[in-house]
Amino acid sequence: MLHVLQSAGGPASDDALRAMFAARKSVFVDLLKWDVPVIDDTYEVDQFDDVHATYLILAEPDGAHLGSARLLQTTRPHILDSLYGMLCEEAPPRAADILEITRFCLDRRLTARERRAVRDTLVTTLVEHALANGIRAYTAIAEIGWFQQILAFGWQCAPLGLSQIVDGAMLVALRIDVTSETPALLARAGIMAPPIRRDERLAA
Amino acid sequence: MRFDVVATHFRTVVESVGSADELAIAMGMITPLLGFEHYALSHHVDAAHGNAVRLHDYPERWASYYERNALSVTDPVHRASHVTSSGFCWSNMPNMIPLTAGDRRMLALGRDQGIGDGFTVPAHVPGEARGSCSFANRAGRPMPAHMLPLAQLAGNFAFEAARRLWTTRGHRSTPRPVLTDRQRDCMLWVARGKSDWEVGCILGISEETVARHVRNACERYGVNKRTLLVIRTLFDGTLTFTDLVGR
Repeated sequence: MLHVLQSAGGPASDDALRAMFAARKSVFVDLLKWDVPVIDDTYEVDQFDDVHATYLILAEPDGAHLGSARLLQTTRPHILDSLYGMLCEEAPPRAADILEITRFCLDRRLTARERRAVRDTLVTTLVEHALANGIRAYTAIAEIGWFQQILAFGWQCAPLGLSQIVDGAMLVALRIDVTSETPALLARAGIMAPPIRRDERLAA
Repeated sequence: MRFDVVATHFRTVVESVGSADELAIAMGMITPLLGFEHYALSHHVDAAHGNAVRLHDYPERWASYYERNALSVTDPVHRASHVTSSGFCWSNMPNMIPLTAGDRRMLALGRDQGIGDGFTVPAHVPGEARGSCSFANRAGRPMPAHMLPLAQLAGNFAFEAARRLWTTRGHRSTPRPVLTDRQRDCMLWVARGKSDWEVGCILGISEETVARHVRNACERYGVNKRTLLVIRTLFDGTLTFTDLVGR
């Protein structure tokens, strides 16, 4: 099931959000050792998890987290302009119809095969979300190994600057353009997802 | 050179190059701009492996020696590129992997043939053979240090361009073997070093049933040894190293 959520009531207001924040803690803090804030020793929540963030969350019918991504408005403070501006050769792209993908998160409980299915579903969901909401491009920051995979998804992707080593990891800022052609480009690269149930709402 | 021009150029190469010859022309233009004399794009498997990416402009003598001895599999540059996700200079390899006497002989031989020092960008797409893009110079030419960040991106894009060409040549057209969930469960425990009897106890099935699942799984992959099956399933993403060591 896909939840498209805009949070207004904080992390405890919704099961899907809570499961996502816990999964993010497990992936980004426990596994990848990112130095980001943790609440109650359980939830990874930072200053960008506010009313302006949008979340795409894939979950099992019982609410268990499968995968998720956070979308930030580039016209407001976001990660690329606030923390990693040096990764952009010019000013970070900033427009109402350009969003930043952050915290792309695949649940650690998944097996290799499930991971791949959830990853593909999340990628196609990002593109569908863009097309349905008039978003023409995404920006993102990726570790260089992940960047090679992002290129392999087949969509139109270009770097925003040279890759640089930041805190021991080589990072690159990138831009993904989304057009009506993009779903076909993904399909050609073998990235396809089964239709899923949607739950689109504003969490109050 | 403005960065957005370069970025657009990389993107164009990936999206519009239509043949290996066109990619070779593009690489022949990019390589000297990056301060190198040679490039090599490859999947790290034996060239006998039909659809593996293999494109380079290394000196002919060295290339044929390399292919004749199937060095792609043991090449220390390739091995080193499996322990990092970011580009590295060959001079740094001793800090990355243990180099055997044979490795050192091979590197010395390459040096004699005009492939002295280089910079290699690892490229790993899960479920596919690992690969890389290398840029190389003859010995004695200084490493173009200021160009390496650009060479990193060029390598990422060049490999993806090559991958797309070789993929459409049929890399994906042969259906890949798929295990049943039960066969995969059995393989997971076999890969973790359990005997059929132990796997049976863990999964609550008989030893004979485990043996049958493993045998059938071997048949699907066309291999006759369970060790080979473990390697193949790790290689294509049916199993991952994370599965093996547990979490």
